[in-house]
Amino acid sequence: MPNTTFLFFLTCLDNFGDKLSKEEPRIGVYVCHCGENIAGAVDVEEVRRFAEKLPNVVIARDYLFMCSDPGQEIIKKDIRDGLINRVVVASCTPKTHEPIFRRACEAAGLNKYYLEMANIRDQCAWAHWHEKKKATEKAKYLVASAVAKARLLEPLEDRYVEMNQNVLVIGGGISGIFASLDLANAGYKVYLVEKEPSIGGNMAKLDKTFPTNDCASCILTPLMVEVANNENIELLTYSEVESVEGSVGNFKVKIRRKQTWVDWDKCTGCGACINVCPPAARVPNEFNEGLDERGAIYIQFPQAVPRKAVIDIDACVKCAGREFGKPPKVSKDGRKILAPCEKACPTGACLRDEPRDPEGSILEIEVGAIIVATGYRVMDKKYFKEFSPSSPNVITALQMERLISATGPSDGKLIVPSDIKKYKEGKNAREPKVIVYISCVGSRSKRYHSYCSKICCMYMLKQAMQLKESYPDLDIYIFFIDVRTTGKDFDEYYMRCKELGIHIIRGKVGGINQLPNERLLVRGYDSDIGKPVELESDIVVLASAVEPSQGMEELSRKLGISIGIEGFLKEKHPKLYPVDTLSEGIFICGCAQGPKDIPDSVAQAKAAASSVMSLLSKGKMKVEPLIAEIDRDRCSGCGICEPLCPYKAITITEKRKKEKKAELNPALCKGCGVCVVACPSKAIKLHGYTFEQLLSQVEALSIELER
Amino acid sequence: MNVINLTYLREREKKEYGKRTITVIQEFGAENIAQCMQCGACSSICPLSISGFEWYNKKLIKGIELGLRDEFFDDPTPWACVACNRCSEVCPRDVNPFEVMFAMRRLMIEEFVIPPTALEALRSLYEHGHAIYVENRKARKAVGLDEKPPTTDSNEKALEELRIILKNTRLIELGLFPLK
Repeated sequence: MPNTTFLFFLTCLDNFGDKLSKEEPRIGVYVCHCGENIAGAVDVEEVRRFAEKLPNVVIARDYLFMCSDPGQEIIKKDIRDGLINRVVVASCTPKTHEPIFRRACEAAGLNKYYLEMANIRDQCAWAHWHEKKKATEKAKYLVASAVAKARLLEPLEDRYVEMNQNVLVIGGGISGIFASLDLANAGYKVYLVEKEPSIGGNMAKLDKTFPTNDCASCILTPLMVEVANNENIELLTYSEVESVEGSVGNFKVKIRRKQTWVDWDKCTGCGACINVCPPAARVPNEFNEGLDERGAIYIQFPQAVPRKAVIDIDACVKCAGREFGKPPKVSKDGRKILAPCEKACPTGACLRDEPRDPEGSILEIEVGAIIVATGYRVMDKKYFKEFSPSSPNVITALQMERLISATGPSDGKLIVPSDIKKYKEGKNAREPKVIVYISCVGSRSKRYHSYCSKICCMYMLKQAMQLKESYPDLDIYIFFIDVRTTGKDFDEYYMRCKELGIHIIRGKVGGINQLPNERLLVRGYDSDIGKPVELESDIVVLASAVEPSQGMEELSRKLGISIGIEGFLKEKHPKLYPVDTLSEGIFICGCAQGPKDIPDSVAQAKAAASSVMSLLSKGKMKVEPLIAEIDRDRCSGCGICEPLCPYKAITITEKRKKEKKAELNPALCKGCGVCVVACPSKAIKLHGYTFEQLLSQVEALSIELER
Repeated sequence: MNVINLTYLREREKKEYGKRTITVIQEFGAENIAQCMQCGACSSICPLSISGFEWYNKKLIKGIELGLRDEFFDDPTPWACVACNRCSEVCPRDVNPFEVMFAMRRLMIEEFVIPPTALEALRSLYEHGHAIYVENRKARKAVGLDEKPPTTDSNEKALEELRIILKNTRLIELGLFPLK
């Protein structure tokens, strides 16, 4: 039990601490130049001289880079020589450098919590670069404040908590699939949650993929099957994350499983029910991006994993008066009156009798880490009035993928979208002769999304190349603002397109007029020639912006991770911690973090999986002892702290004498300090930030500096 | 009309010319024209763009790609190229814009769209071995020089060789002027 271990620690510490703290503090102050970063604005020597005179300071030194090996060695030597028993480093941010200096203290035999840092770089030198005198003054104050706190520091010991070895992966697209497989193959139990009936995500909708033009299904389907067959992966599709509690190592997650009305243990995915669902129950097919329709009972797509049917209860027309959640009516001759889907099902998997449960069932799981891979959606064309969105032949690029896919609405035959219905009826559908692409639709726009969606240039070139190779007589015009084919093997697509005679025109289209027979008049501008251009087209493809998937904001709130202004999940550091979040134990990957192509998504997914492995493989996790402690004698049991704690670490318990008291679970406490300030009896102490320490810092900031 | 109608251009290529303009230009020697990415390096140093001609190299290439053709026939730009070759030196894609300019001249000659100055230059080349020939025998004689300059013009053998070369070009088929 980490709880008792910790209490034992504290008891030991108290004695140990008493002994040490009786020793008069002998503080060493180390002022860092950080090259020119600090020394360029702060007079380091002046700060050092000032620090030397502060109470309890026995040594003050300066060095070019305190964090370097020789810099650390200076501190270690002073500790080993018995000169100092407290350390103040005036340098940069503790966020990145505190661990380094703590290790140095520890290596020299000093309790590492006898270290205090003054950030005279980020919040001083950098911020006041052009006011050197004032910057020096501020640095002095910050050092004085740190020294004042150092005098009152107490020795603390790290504690350890057990970490749950299960992992939750949210999102079953290519990123979620790869993250799950890597973790499962390393021996971790993975819960893979996907809101759609099948995994596969957006990649399952693609026809071919850049670079190298692999067929998306050919490379994705085997992975999906591998996920389904992997005994370490529990696949939870048609499910959503309801709530998340706890913290790194010990998350408690509720998963809401939506009602399918089909018994998936019995359903074989034969599709018999789908064929009998009547035309009246047909709604736009999400998988084909609305280009055709599906029935109320449907299997998401032919290669779906799991290949199971679900009933969309909102679309169902309740054939034969067959209500949900009730037993079937009985005819005069005593036969049950069933809906066609029920009748067609050879295994009796259709569960229309099942009581209606709009909330779905809740599954509670415990995991040590979470990976968010919720992907993206593309912007709808409806926002772009200038592009005649009401025309069926103005489509998004994802719709184009469906149109040329063998599993798409026209079985991969290139026809104008306005004739899909005709095609399905077996009538002659018109083949397009001209296709126009428009880039940056909603991207690089102050009105919609200021970012570049990154993948559009490549998929436009890919589609154009694919189409021109299959239909050489097709005329394709691509209107670009800039062609961005960054990276290995990517510019080959641009060159190939040019060689194939695809027109690449620099300049954006500003308007599309609808012509008779569902044709379109495209008005563009060729900025190379400097003249407006116009042409008639059969299909216009909009490379509409990549957006965070629906519900991202809500999910981020549940997880307690932040999203950037563009709505994508925010990483801890854009360069150094690209898959970490500020919430420890929660990682992100793929398009949930920002627009990216398949290679980058897979790389991030594998990075997130390996980050989880390096976190969980230790089994136990070191937790800083900078947490709250409740003085039971002082606690009045008022209960104010309990609901305030964001980590649910405090509970009000009745123990001896039936007295109500607050109790703190140190394994859950994060040391945020909310309870400390709220406690009216000052019964809660935050180690590392005690009232005495903080007040001494404030006091030090109010001294008069010699001028 | 100031608007370029791409549908019209494409139809014209298909029905009237039977070939894409870009293909014709490629056949006339500018094989790499499709490699152009309109970076504009060639136009930054082209004497034609600098001095304000309309269809300098980069624009000419783009126009050809779009299917413009007859539109160039009234334009003096292709004939104004001084063949300095700087465009080809700086092109990052080996498009050789200079070659495009000359391919356009070839197309124009093929279509008998030849400005009088160009025709005069050809005739002069054939007759004197100089594209630009200044008739100044009297002046030369007056200052004590030979009537003809000491070039191909006065070298019967060299002139004969040059004429053999020219007779072996498309000039003989086109019959722009009598090749005596």
